[in-house]
Amino acid sequence: MSPFAVTRLEWRRLLVRPLAWVLAALTLAWLAWNFTLMLGSFLSSQIQRAAQPDGPGFIDLVGVPLLGQLAQLAFLVVPLITMSVIAGERRNGTLPLLFAAGVPASRIVLGKYLAVLGWLLLWLALTLAMPLALMHTTHFDWGKLAAATLGLALMLATLGAIGVACSAFASHPAIAASAALVIALALWSVNLGAQMAGMNGGAINWLAMSSHLQPLLRGLVSTTDIVWFALLIVLALALATRRLAADKERN
Amino acid sequence: MTLPTDVSAAPMLRLDQLSRRRAGRPAVQSLSLSLPRGQVLGLLGVNGAGKSTTLSMVAGALRPDSGSIRLNGADFLEQPELARQLIGWLPERAPLWPELTVSEHLDAHGHLRGLRGAALKQARTAIIERLELQPLARRLAGVLSQGQRQRLGLACALLHRPALLVLDEPANALDPVQVAALRTLIREQAAAGTAVILSTHLLAEVTAVCDRVAILHDGTLRHDGHVHSDDHAALERTFFEIAMNGQPQPARAA
Repeated sequence: MSPFAVTRLEWRRLLVRPLAWVLAALTLAWLAWNFTLMLGSFLSSQIQRAAQPDGPGFIDLVGVPLLGQLAQLAFLVVPLITMSVIAGERRNGTLPLLFAAGVPASRIVLGKYLAVLGWLLLWLALTLAMPLALMHTTHFDWGKLAAATLGLALMLATLGAIGVACSAFASHPAIAASAALVIALALWSVNLGAQMAGMNGGAINWLAMSSHLQPLLRGLVSTTDIVWFALLIVLALALATRRLAADKERN
Repeated sequence: MTLPTDVSAAPMLRLDQLSRRRAGRPAVQSLSLSLPRGQVLGLLGVNGAGKSTTLSMVAGALRPDSGSIRLNGADFLEQPELARQLIGWLPERAPLWPELTVSEHLDAHGHLRGLRGAALKQARTAIIERLELQPLARRLAGVLSQGQRQRLGLACALLHRPALLVLDEPANALDPVQVAALRTLIREQAAAGTAVILSTHLLAEVTAVCDRVAILHDGTLRHDGHVHSDDHAALERTFFEIAMNGQPQPARAA
């Protein structure tokens, strides 16, 4: 079997579903509108900033905030994209077909995850195309843009893995989407209380996704942050695989 | 076709003491039977007798609690990947992806079964022609009628020319003409050396296409014998005796 047979199948299903197209169109239109507003604001303040050579540039004022908006949208979009990947198969009764084709649970999960990841990275690439379209007209801080892009890619990959895991556990896609949204929001804001109490370190802050994404959006790449995202992805996919394997046992 | 395990003397399928519980009760208990190549085995039984559970285990969609399944001499539970090439499975209600077309279904099943490029194209064209699916090739599975869904499910099961064909109520929702065509197709497969196991409620289906019949009751095998097309009445009597009393009555003296 081709290692990407499940990916190909899932990718095809994603592309023919109106939901993926509608979400992509709406979010990209929203991001383009905001990009235009931020660009206008950047251009109108260009003269004042000319007096501060070390002041914030195009990437700080337009590129990273645009990616920040994409991150906010991702909390809603990713659960909607991932909700049907396994829960939908379960509802259609097509999951046993994959088992009966001799595809192991791990490969089903990985195949579906790669398809979702492909969609999410395409979404990120289309968003990035907006600031990149101006690369020849203004100064670009490539390092900061690369770090922020890496952060967003890791965040999308993590939310995608959580979404796939929720879809593996839920019997209905809507339950999967709700669970993925709640888990993602909880992961983002788990340290809010601690921060309000003035605690800026410690385990509770380490647990929060925001603690690992914000440094990357500021251009600081650290191995700890990358490992945090990687751990979460592996954990979510392992749980999804376990659940699918149990499904085959229980049917 | 070269089979993954070439133990030519071995039956295509051998079940040994197969058991499985479902919903807290034994669905299949200590089931043992074997099926040689080119034979059509009909699995009969009332609702809840364990037919679909048996077929799900044979197809690799459900793991048995105990017992063994040997496919062409190889341990299927140890090597579940054998299903990819060897088994074609049509579950009771052909499960389909509603957002994919008929043609895309065949491609997806082909990829899952390891077919690619020219081989996939050739297999897809052949099965579309054989099951007369040309007018439906570009239609979404979600809008197909029940009979059309069944035909597509059958096409997916046959696409990779499996050595063991597992059919669960294949005549469901088919019209009489399609039922006749299905019977011809099953006999063709058997003549080509494919072992076929099919579950059905229809005794006429068994006498028309099966070489052998196994009757399940309460998850256990109560009867396993050859079928002759002219002994429909005898099969009917055996079936009802098992359905009513749990076992066939001894033959009455003439």
